[in-house]
Amino acid sequence: MNRDQIFEKVQEIFRDIFDDEDLNISDSTSSNDIEDWDSLNHINIVVAIEKEFKIKFNFNELSSLKDVGAMVDLMIEKIKNNE
Amino acid sequence: MNNFLFADLHIGLAQSFEVVLDDQKLQSFLAISGDHNPLHTDEDYAKTKGFKSKVVYGLLSSSFYSTLVGVYLPGKFAILHGIDIQFVGPVFVGDQLQVYGVIKYINEAYKQIEVKAHITNQGGKKISKATIKIGMIDE
Repeated sequence: MNRDQIFEKVQEIFRDIFDDEDLNISDSTSSNDIEDWDSLNHINIVVAIEKEFKIKFNFNELSSLKDVGAMVDLMIEKIKNNE
Repeated sequence: MNNFLFADLHIGLAQSFEVVLDDQKLQSFLAISGDHNPLHTDEDYAKTKGFKSKVVYGLLSSSFYSTLVGVYLPGKFAILHGIDIQFVGPVFVGDQLQVYGVIKYINEAYKQIEVKAHITNQGGKKISKATIKIGMIDE
């Protein structure tokens, strides 16, 4: 799975969680850009990604992420380690 | 009351309890909610709609999911994050319900667990099922 494919799935997860079929995210999207991105939805995003990609994050990794692009980069690293 | 810590929890850990839904509980829920729809308050009306007696409020029987989380699984250190409930059968006054939940997912980073739960009546028929997200506040 390449980065674009991963990104597309992440976008689907965001659309599902924020209940917005028109939502478009980019590498630079962060919680400042989506009004409903609160702490509970943040957990929902992380759990949905963990389940979809069969990976696990730890708290310190997540704390250092500044935007969606950084999250996707971390995911790629973890998916590779799983292979 | 159980007081499982996050470290005690594992996938497959299950808890259950039983409760009888008597008319007093129905009356109390009516007083709290103000939902006086005749399906819940008028025996004759409920019968004309094909039910054997007054139908217990779905959110009253579902209130035991709150008890499952706050008292049994995980108990004291729980904070409810979200619940998705589906009703699959009616509940009537006098029914004895069994409430069951099992941990299906654990998020280590944010200490959130996901419990799959269901409620069955005295005949073993499922009356509702739920997916419950619970945060842990044991620190």
